[in-house]
Amino acid sequence: MTEVLDIAHLESAHRGLARAWIEFESGLAAVPVIARLLSGRLRIEDYRSLLFNLRQQVVDGGRWISRAASNLEHEELRSLFIRHAAAEHRDYRMLEDNYVAAGGMREEIRGGVKNIGSEALSAFMFHAASQANPVGLLGAMFVIEGLGNRMAGPWAEAIRMQLALDEDAVSFLAYHGANDEDHLAMFDRALAMAVIDAATATAVVRHARIVARLYRLQLEELDNV
Amino acid sequence: MRAYVTGSGQFLPGEPVSNDAMADYIGRLSLQAARLGRLTLRRNGIRSRHYAMRPDGTTDWTLARLGAAALDDLFARSGLDRRAVGYLATATTQNDLMVPGLASGLHAQSGLPPVEIASMQSVCASGMMALKSAALQVAAGEHAAALAVGAEFSSRYFRPGHYHGTAAMNADGTLPSDAEFLRWTLSDGAAGVLVEDRPAPRGLSLRIDWISLRSFADRFAPCMTGGAALNEQGDLVPWSHFPTIAEAAQAGAFQLRQDVEALHRMLPVWLGELMRLVDEGRVDPGGVDHFLCHFSARSLRDEMVALARKAGCLIPEDRWFTNLYEKGNVGAASLFLLLDDLLRSGRLAAGQTVLCAVPESGQCVMAYAMMTVVDGDET
Repeated sequence: MTEVLDIAHLESAHRGLARAWIEFESGLAAVPVIARLLSGRLRIEDYRSLLFNLRQQVVDGGRWISRAASNLEHEELRSLFIRHAAAEHRDYRMLEDNYVAAGGMREEIRGGVKNIGSEALSAFMFHAASQANPVGLLGAMFVIEGLGNRMAGPWAEAIRMQLALDEDAVSFLAYHGANDEDHLAMFDRALAMAVIDAATATAVVRHARIVARLYRLQLEELDNV
Repeated sequence: MRAYVTGSGQFLPGEPVSNDAMADYIGRLSLQAARLGRLTLRRNGIRSRHYAMRPDGTTDWTLARLGAAALDDLFARSGLDRRAVGYLATATTQNDLMVPGLASGLHAQSGLPPVEIASMQSVCASGMMALKSAALQVAAGEHAAALAVGAEFSSRYFRPGHYHGTAAMNADGTLPSDAEFLRWTLSDGAAGVLVEDRPAPRGLSLRIDWISLRSFADRFAPCMTGGAALNEQGDLVPWSHFPTIAEAAQAGAFQLRQDVEALHRMLPVWLGELMRLVDEGRVDPGGVDHFLCHFSARSLRDEMVALARKAGCLIPEDRWFTNLYEKGNVGAASLFLLLDDLLRSGRLAAGQTVLCAVPESGQCVMAYAMMTVVDGDET
């Protein structure tokens, strides 16, 4: 009986995440820079600004994931978070390289500060990661990995085509488009371990919805520092 | 909702056309086109369909006549006299005429007295739009009996003469896949249901419990289009904005197109609607006895099953009811073809639930309807 109920909670989490994703994806299409990208009107300044702004938040990725890891009770989940942090914590360098390949100055992107949306997103991540047993952050990972898995590949290709850039200028997006499939399979296993009751299912979905909104805010507030 | 499906009927023109004989009807463009056709058929799983066009390119049919033939079938089996009908809603993708609507054309052919009409024009989901409007008209007490009819006559757009000399066609007779795909997917026919404010006195009826239809055009660009062509900036230009009709035709504005990749992007949204209905307690996946899902291709069905299983909203596969493989994809008529075949199948028993699902790729619509089988004697 317990097992049946566990599955029901897990399924409910999957539904909640899928619905959060649908809202996120639709919201993104309305963000000006993404709307220009999707309709083939992106300018090189847009792309540089995107890289510049993402870098200031991505640089924190390995940190909040490892902080969350240190607070996780479940050993397997902790292990997974640690591996994930190790895999991602230098990703921001790819953004810097892409920025340079797209005509930007390395010292500028390195010296940048977070935009208003990135501040909110990053602050929430560190706040959530600092809580006891923050399994809800799987919802945050779902949104960010989903972005890589579902959007980054087509975006990389569209940006390359629209701006006539080489592959070395879009490697951050292309890398996530190619690799986050494995990450999502890993995510499914983690979710099955983490969602043991209604409360964890709710927490995961809630974190996903919050992070989805704050991620969109980050893109809405490009260069608003 | 006090609205019951008390009757149904269908009409599929001519004999079933096998995959091997399709090209006799829609014509041959090139070897490459035929190869893409075979690939499309493997993916959609359709084995036969019907065409209202003869191999020589002539026809006696229009949407209005196909719809009227379906109504003849409906009334031949219904206890209701057609003079008792007060409302007619029609559904189609492209009407015979641009002006006026199909409901006028069908009304003229139908033998119905003066009735209230509504013409729904969209793609597959227009069938559900027509059904919902008929159900609401009846439930609101505006009419005691209403008809919802869907009809399609796509094959007329797929003949070589509609492609030759247009920008869409390459010198070697090859079409881009977004234009070729639909030639091997859509076919012709009509079907409809009778909706009344009480169950039929004899036999089984379907009580319409609710119908949910939502557009997601706020987030999707048009992905199945007709009547427009892309310009160099990638914008869709309506045929009427071209300087001359000849230029619109030359640009391929009158061709039906389907961005096949976009279907896969829409799938999670279509399924997300089912998740919403499950979360809201309106659908219990295990409690659905018959699942009538209009899917345009077997490959989409398989992808949908995989996604649904994880989220606990997979309707058990032995409850799925489809006629796609034998009757083809008849767009706006598909919902009614499914309902008519289910009602005739002998599989229904009082108390069972029927869930209908109609996704529309056009600019992304998803519709679900829940019905309960009732026996006339019990109510």
